[in-house]
Amino acid sequence: MLSLSKQNTPAGRRYVIRTMAFMGGYVAVMLATIGGAFDAIQGKPAAWALALVVSAPIAGQIWATLSFMRDSDEFVRAVTAKQFIVSAGVAMTLFSAWGFGESFAGAPHAEGWLIYPLFWAIFGCVAPMIRSSN
Amino acid sequence: MKNRLKLLRVERNWTQEQLGQALGVSRQAVNALETEKHDPSLDLAYRIAALFARPVEEVFENPHG
Repeated sequence: MLSLSKQNTPAGRRYVIRTMAFMGGYVAVMLATIGGAFDAIQGKPAAWALALVVSAPIAGQIWATLSFMRDSDEFVRAVTAKQFIVSAGVAMTLFSAWGFGESFAGAPHAEGWLIYPLFWAIFGCVAPMIRSSN
Repeated sequence: MKNRLKLLRVERNWTQEQLGQALGVSRQAVNALETEKHDPSLDLAYRIAALFARPVEEVFENPHG
């Protein structure tokens, strides 16, 4: 996700700061959850609030990316959109295939939240290869 | 899209960074234009033509004509 910021522009710098803030929050809540900080509410209605809190930084990250695109020039905007679409397409295809594998072939269960780190892992591989807006 | 952007820039001893600043775009955008990895919008094409005081057709080759 930080590969977007390689250009040293105000928009790029804002994107880095926002990304670090949102991902820092995401990782902190995830680590606290794994560490058992929220064990007392698991299985209770309040756990839905925790689920939304953990997921909120993802929405924030998408906002940061859209803001970056809005504040960038047309080439950066076009390439970023292309990188996102390809990454999202590959991530959805792979995760759907795994889901069908669970349904039809007895594949081990993969938690739904894995789609987000999977998307960024794919983005990290795909982005360096997409350097043209054409 | 084929263009004479690099030639026009080098004639003036401008770097890609300087041209980008003059146009209000990133150095990456200038590089992408010069290497034909980005087709400019009509707005950007006119801005480039105005900066070099040339008609658009003298900067960018018309792919349809």
